[in-house]
Amino acid sequence: MAVISPSETANKGRSDLIAYATLSLISIFCAVPFFWVLLASLDGNAQLFLHWPEQWTFANYIKVFTKEDGAKWLFNSLFVVGGATLLVMVLAGLGGYALSRTRAWWKLPFLYAILLIRVLPPTALVVPLYKFLLTLNNAEAAVLRPIFGSYARDIMRWTGFIDGYLGLILVLATMQLPLALWIMKTFFDGLPRDYEEAALMDGATLIQRIRRVLIPLALPGLAAAGLFAFMSAWGDFLLPLIFLSSPELQTLPLGLFRAFLRINEIDYGLLTALAFIYLLPAVVAFGFARRFLVQTFSGGVKG
Amino acid sequence: MARNSHEKRAERQWLLILLPSLVLLLAFVIYPALYSIYLSFTNEALTGAAALRPRFVGLRNYTRLLNDAKFWNALFVTFVFVICSAVIGQFVLGLISAMALRRPIRFRRLFSSIILLPNAAPEVVAGFMWISMLAGGDNATLSRIVSFFGVAPADWLQVFPLSMIIVVNTWRGIATAMILLTAGLSTIPGEIYEAARMDGATPSQMFRRITLPLMMPTILLYMLISAVSTIAVFGLVYALTRGGPGGATEVVSIYIYNQSFTAFQLGYGAAVAVVALVISLILGIAYVRAMKVEV
Repeated sequence: MAVISPSETANKGRSDLIAYATLSLISIFCAVPFFWVLLASLDGNAQLFLHWPEQWTFANYIKVFTKEDGAKWLFNSLFVVGGATLLVMVLAGLGGYALSRTRAWWKLPFLYAILLIRVLPPTALVVPLYKFLLTLNNAEAAVLRPIFGSYARDIMRWTGFIDGYLGLILVLATMQLPLALWIMKTFFDGLPRDYEEAALMDGATLIQRIRRVLIPLALPGLAAAGLFAFMSAWGDFLLPLIFLSSPELQTLPLGLFRAFLRINEIDYGLLTALAFIYLLPAVVAFGFARRFLVQTFSGGVKG
Repeated sequence: MARNSHEKRAERQWLLILLPSLVLLLAFVIYPALYSIYLSFTNEALTGAAALRPRFVGLRNYTRLLNDAKFWNALFVTFVFVICSAVIGQFVLGLISAMALRRPIRFRRLFSSIILLPNAAPEVVAGFMWISMLAGGDNATLSRIVSFFGVAPADWLQVFPLSMIIVVNTWRGIATAMILLTAGLSTIPGEIYEAARMDGATPSQMFRRITLPLMMPTILLYMLISAVSTIAVFGLVYALTRGGPGGATEVVSIYIYNQSFTAFQLGYGAAVAVVALVISLILGIAYVRAMKVEV
């Protein structure tokens, strides 16, 4: 019975119309706030309110880099988040491989543990984390100061645990690890073992197997794990807020937040230009991550 | 015998390459979580006498918690925030979007891209965008939209603070719900709907008798994921209201932050943190069970 009655066609047309209408409404709801950032950042007379610019200009973007420390904030964000992402990819690549192949007793407890770690709210962890990192930091300073004297401060800016690049990279990476391990474990589960077994027969060591067989095969999985780590670390506000204080180390979310706190003299053009610069890498990464979203969000759902 | 020793060596190697991840997680997640339990039994503070010589105070932080109206307020606000934004707002709009996008209509990719956009915005940027949308005065976007329907303009974040952060968080999470529920919908075979249509079932009957029951496992999993991630929301609310006005949007994560870094009472903040950790863990265990981890 492939014949469709007229009433059914009308029905279908009406349902499609409802679908268009609801999707349009939801899309407008989703998109409108973005217009303010985009338009105000190109507006010579930007305000808190959404309006069509009368004089278009790039001056706001130029100001971010000349009047403010935008270049430094951007570098710090890219360096810290990039470092954390690389670290996550290496650790999750190795760890996910181990989790997929091992038959040890700790496999299931470990998998449960990384799922449970993902649900812990970071705000509930930052106070003890801060105290712990402060202890590590003081210990490191006590070692470095006698050796490097007055240079110790500069070195600590890179290797310190509080108010240093290293500490923030390690903490950001750790927060992204559970999801990345999960992605990589699932990825390796889907990878046939034939290649490794062939390599094993040829007497390849673990390092050789990882270099010649696993890294080439694991690239799609690593891309997914890296993209999610990047997006989540890039958007994070709490950890830099608590672990950074020097002006030299400020990242984009902090620069943006502090630009907004100058209540009486907020420059909305500058603020939105900065917001757009901060927003862009996140949206680009999200675009690339789109095809991985389903597997990642649904985790272990079958189907 | 040779095979056995070979396997033992392999197992040692697995542990070895997992070790760096294990160390980081133990040092920066597990240890802080246990340490916050310890802190919650002390009068640790960032300033004052207690900062120099913290003492063990037993359950005093917890008894104080029970009598602290601001703590109960934070729990209540969090509860309303999670139920209204994650369980209702994101879910309903996500389900509607997922179902509408299943129809063979045009611009599907464009619609879903736009709906995904809020999810990509960093928390602080999302917060500022909505400060602009919700600002007071006749010119702010929301006031202009509602004046079209004859509603008076208002300073929305001051007058309806909790409702507004619920709207913003709903906005941010429609995509997650849509993606998960789309995956769930695609597992329902089309023949079931065909058969139901032959039997003369109406669309609303099909939704209630087929879609909802078959989607239940996915919906449950979604509810748990979005509940725990909504409890953890910090930056979005902090950028919008910082918990104000007068504690109206002080969700638990903001309350912990304010107690620890504004009032400097680390011990008491840790007690609140332990409550948040326990609630999240209970939901998390339900989530892990619902997921049926495959090894």
